[in-house]
Amino acid sequence: MEGIIEQFGVAWPKFIAQVIIVLIVYFVLSKYAFGPVLAMLEARRKRIAEGEENIKKIESQLAKAEENVQGMLDEANRDAERLIAEARESAEAVRGQKTQEAVKEAQSIIEKAREASRLEHESAMNELRKDFGRLVIDATSKVTGKVLDEDDQKRINQETAGQVSL
Amino acid sequence: MEINLPIFALDSMSPLLAAGGIAAPDILGWISNSIFVATVVTVAVLLFTRMATKKMELIPNQKQNFVEFMIEFLYGQVEGIVGKHVAPKAFPLLATVFIFIITANWFGLLPGVGTIGWGEGSGPLSVKEVHTPLLRPATADLNMTLALAAVFMVVWFWISVKELGVWGSLVHIFGPKGGLQGALKYMLMPIFFFVGIIEVISIVFRPVSLSLRLLGNVFAGETLLVVMGGLGVNVMNASGFWAFLTSIIFPIPFYFMEILVGALQATVFTLLCAVYIKLSTTHEGEEH
Repeated sequence: MEGIIEQFGVAWPKFIAQVIIVLIVYFVLSKYAFGPVLAMLEARRKRIAEGEENIKKIESQLAKAEENVQGMLDEANRDAERLIAEARESAEAVRGQKTQEAVKEAQSIIEKAREASRLEHESAMNELRKDFGRLVIDATSKVTGKVLDEDDQKRINQETAGQVSL
Repeated sequence: MEINLPIFALDSMSPLLAAGGIAAPDILGWISNSIFVATVVTVAVLLFTRMATKKMELIPNQKQNFVEFMIEFLYGQVEGIVGKHVAPKAFPLLATVFIFIITANWFGLLPGVGTIGWGEGSGPLSVKEVHTPLLRPATADLNMTLALAAVFMVVWFWISVKELGVWGSLVHIFGPKGGLQGALKYMLMPIFFFVGIIEVISIVFRPVSLSLRLLGNVFAGETLLVVMGGLGVNVMNASGFWAFLTSIIFPIPFYFMEILVGALQATVFTLLCAVYIKLSTTHEGEEH
């Protein structure tokens, strides 16, 4: 056994030196490499998890916001449609009212025009009768050579007016 | 010891064994070339990790990213074997073992390791054969592989006792397994006790098997590279430029193989350690 150990060059000082080297690597790596790196990996893992959690929250909030916006849009659309319908009804009513007013006004204008025309016509007829009566009186006075008094003129006028129908 | 300091010996590699033989030769007092290389590897590993982890940030730089990737990957593997509960205790040792072994193994593949050293002079800055190389892979020395195994066994013992307690560990080794109850349990107790003794023997031999496996593979790799390097001279009787050329070309494919073997042996050593921890920390009723 000793021969084998000697042949392989195993000796306590060398063995202990190698053990010390391994222990140095073990302790230094544990303290300055594995610990900090594992802590960093854990921190990164947590950060990623938080990020994912935040993304989920944001997505949920976004969905909620979109839902709210959609609700608001729907409500606004409903309001708009209602307002348009009301405006249309109101416009329809106003139009009907205005149309009726316009028709009435037109009728009134037409009536007035008719009345005015009738009055003008009557006035013109009266003037015409008067002129005609005057012409008849003149003609009668010239034909007869007699000055017609007021009663004659009046009678002739009435007879003329009675016989002339215009 | 005749010293012809330090000299290249490209055409003078031993056809039988890696330079210096299986026992790591001393270069300064009791300090062997293997201890020297182990120190260099330690400094290199510690400096690199210190540089990478000195100013750690959430958005990592290249070095920090590499170290984080390594540690995260290793932690995942360790956690997968020993479980979530034991992983924080076992990980530092297992990761240290893996990183140290793989670095030491690959360091041994650097040009000059095993081929620069002292030997019989054959000309200016040249020796016929290197007897005492300046550099030798740390894991090609039984002292180092035994040290790794010894440190592991101490930490393994501490983790096992911490997990199960002294009595729990004894019951775990010698007690009946499989949830046996009643008379059958008492009938089978002697058998389980005997199995426990075998288990103790296997535990005692674990450091030996771990260290010799690693040593054997790395030393064989070194020897293979030396043999391939000297193939032109020793088998084809090449000389001059051809000896130089063959000593470079022949080992190249084996360098790639040794890169793989270096990583594989680090993985095997670490995986076995993880499995040993898993076996000794599994509570009764848990799946083995």
